[in-house]
Amino acid sequence: MEKGFARVWRKTGTRLTLLYLLLLLVGRMNGEAGVAPPGKPRLINCRSPEKETFTCWWEPGSSGGLPTSYTLFYRKENSDVVYECPDYITAGDNSCFFDKNHTSIWVNYNITVVAQNALGNASSDPMDVDVMNIVQPHHPENVTVTLMQGENLYLQVKWQPPRMADTRSGWITLTYELLVKREEDDEWEEYFAGLQKQYQLFSPHPGETYMVKVRCKPDHGYWSEWSATAYVDVPDYLPRERSVWMLLAVFSAFVFLIFMWVLALKKNRVKHCLLPPVPGPKIKGFDSCLLKMEKSEEIFNGLIGLGFRPPSDSGDLLVDYLEVSESIQSESRHSLSPNGKDQVKDSVADHSGGHLCDVPAILAEKCNKEMEAQGDVQTEESLETVGHLAGNDNHTPNPSAASSNQPCVQESPYHVPEESKQGLDPVTWDNDELSSYRGNAPVHGKSHFNSEYVTERWQGCLQVTKPTEYVEVQKVNQENTLILKPKAEEEMEDFLQLGLRGQDYSKVSELVNDHILLLERGSTTPNTYCGSLGSPVQQQPKQTLCQGPNGYVETFTVQSSSY
Amino acid sequence: MSKNVRPGSLFVLLLMCLDLHTLVESAPICAHGHTGCHSPTLSDLFDRVIQHSARMHGLSSDLHSDFEQYFLPSRNQIGRINRKCHTAYILTPNGKENAQRLAREELTEVILKLLAAWRDPLSQFHRSMARHEDFTSISGNKALEMSDMVHQLKNGVEKVAEKMQLLGMISNSLMSLSSTEALAPHSASSEARSMSDYELLYCFRRDSNKVQNYLKILKCRIVAEHGC
Repeated sequence: MEKGFARVWRKTGTRLTLLYLLLLLVGRMNGEAGVAPPGKPRLINCRSPEKETFTCWWEPGSSGGLPTSYTLFYRKENSDVVYECPDYITAGDNSCFFDKNHTSIWVNYNITVVAQNALGNASSDPMDVDVMNIVQPHHPENVTVTLMQGENLYLQVKWQPPRMADTRSGWITLTYELLVKREEDDEWEEYFAGLQKQYQLFSPHPGETYMVKVRCKPDHGYWSEWSATAYVDVPDYLPRERSVWMLLAVFSAFVFLIFMWVLALKKNRVKHCLLPPVPGPKIKGFDSCLLKMEKSEEIFNGLIGLGFRPPSDSGDLLVDYLEVSESIQSESRHSLSPNGKDQVKDSVADHSGGHLCDVPAILAEKCNKEMEAQGDVQTEESLETVGHLAGNDNHTPNPSAASSNQPCVQESPYHVPEESKQGLDPVTWDNDELSSYRGNAPVHGKSHFNSEYVTERWQGCLQVTKPTEYVEVQKVNQENTLILKPKAEEEMEDFLQLGLRGQDYSKVSELVNDHILLLERGSTTPNTYCGSLGSPVQQQPKQTLCQGPNGYVETFTVQSSSY
Repeated sequence: MSKNVRPGSLFVLLLMCLDLHTLVESAPICAHGHTGCHSPTLSDLFDRVIQHSARMHGLSSDLHSDFEQYFLPSRNQIGRINRKCHTAYILTPNGKENAQRLAREELTEVILKLLAAWRDPLSQFHRSMARHEDFTSISGNKALEMSDMVHQLKNGVEKVAEKMQLLGMISNSLMSLSSTEALAPHSASSEARSMSDYELLYCFRRDSNKVQNYLKILKCRIVAEHGC
């Protein structure tokens, strides 16, 4: 009976084994892992939260299809005694917890994990651990953010060290780090708090929510996890700030307005400063003032130098230059300095191109001084004397005249105010010239002047920006002296009669047949007036041309010519 | 003449008082409470000494990791030493409770013993470092600095001990400082000589950590402050 039983048992066992092996084969064919000795486990790491206990974790290898058990063994430094893990449970699966009694600091642990199943075992690589190196604390606790009102609003962040870490006895020293973020920001800002357990954040943005989190690290160890995030809402304390900004804005607007007002007042000066008037082109030898003098012959006399055919009845009339120089304080000689023909040509030639008025330096200086003294300089353009008078060689040129081939001193405004017009000596003109100029009409018939000018050499165009600056021939005295005076304000009428209007300027487009000028409409500087001279012009206004300083021709009405 | 002498003597006195502030190296002149001298508090002394020990430990860690990089690429050998550190004869507390259980005097004594035990081996180490051609000069400088630091730190801790004795915080039963060296067994120094450079570094790294930790415990026990 027993034999039979044993036989049956043996058979069963064999069958079972066969079945088992079959299952194994089937399992393998189906792709499932079959039974095998366990794979090698791997120790992941060990960590100590407070340098009093520590935990080690491992990663199981393949289980071999069989229930596998894991055992942790350790040896202490320089000892061959092998101990087993005291606690597999506290720290979770696949872990070993060493409590205080089993933990020694500054002692090297040699740890191994062994996996075992029915078919065999597998041992991990050993790991050496010294607790002093593996400290990773828990995160800080009780992180709070509060609004504080000091001088200004600021945020105070406070926290506690992790419960288990004993910082009070000096066993562990922890340093802290914060991350702060506004709710709508994408990135966190890092702040290092050192050993302290609180931190201030100044000038928070009003009306926003702030998020703060903290972590800690022992002096030789790993950073902890981040604590839970703390939130705080910052109220809108902006209105006080806003008012400051508004005040600032109002103040700067005020300053700006004042600045603009000052700028507007000094518009002319600014304009002169930024955009100095550009001298315009001038036709060579073309004397715009001659146009006013209704002497068409003289106009073309000026062009003799350029090769124009002179008019027939002005054969031996030569363009000469009368220099007008002014001596406000003192009287000085004045005489025409007639130039010879050659000189005329040269002078004419010199007048090509730009705005050459040849106001002598002395004249300019005197004018400047006077203007500065008087302080009523209003003009921005210089006063030029234009006048090409025919002259002969009788008159001695002034010594100072010889050098005056200067360009028109446009930058030195020349203004002869009314008050200073006394005491000027009359200009001496050649009688012949005058007669040709005026057709024998006495000059003094038109006594508009109440002051006189000193002239030495008179060239160029007398330009005024105000009526008071016109120079007019007052009279011719017996010595053939032409007395000029600036035009007084009440004589503006006459000028207007002449049709001198500020705005009706035309531009010379071409000269036709030697005595016809073709004009085109153009713009010009409003303050440029063509100086006129001589009463004949006033008495007999006619439609004639007056060339302005920049080549533009001004139209005005002139009565029929007397010559 | 007398007028010149008086400011001169005041000046000398000032200098003598200022000299106190270079604490660790020089003996304090005003230690016995001379009037007009300002001596640093025990808390200050502890802070300086702890800073010093922290720096020392930092240096030793750097050197240790440098050494591992250059000479021991194989991971199997890391952390494994074949013999004990030569300071194993010194009984040091291996945990917080053990350290707290020790009396202040004993703790101070342990610190001083440790520091004394390392003076010779570190100078030996520095000399052997100089011979290594492939070790960088920076590491050589660190080694020299380290051996100097041990000496300075020992002097500093002695000052602290003196101050503590002065203030009555520890009893005068502390063994005389010179005897700490004398008590070292002769075998320890010969053992140190036979250790390899790597082993020396490994042991010193650990011992410097011990010293730093013990000093912190001592400070917080004696001078409870914001740092504790």
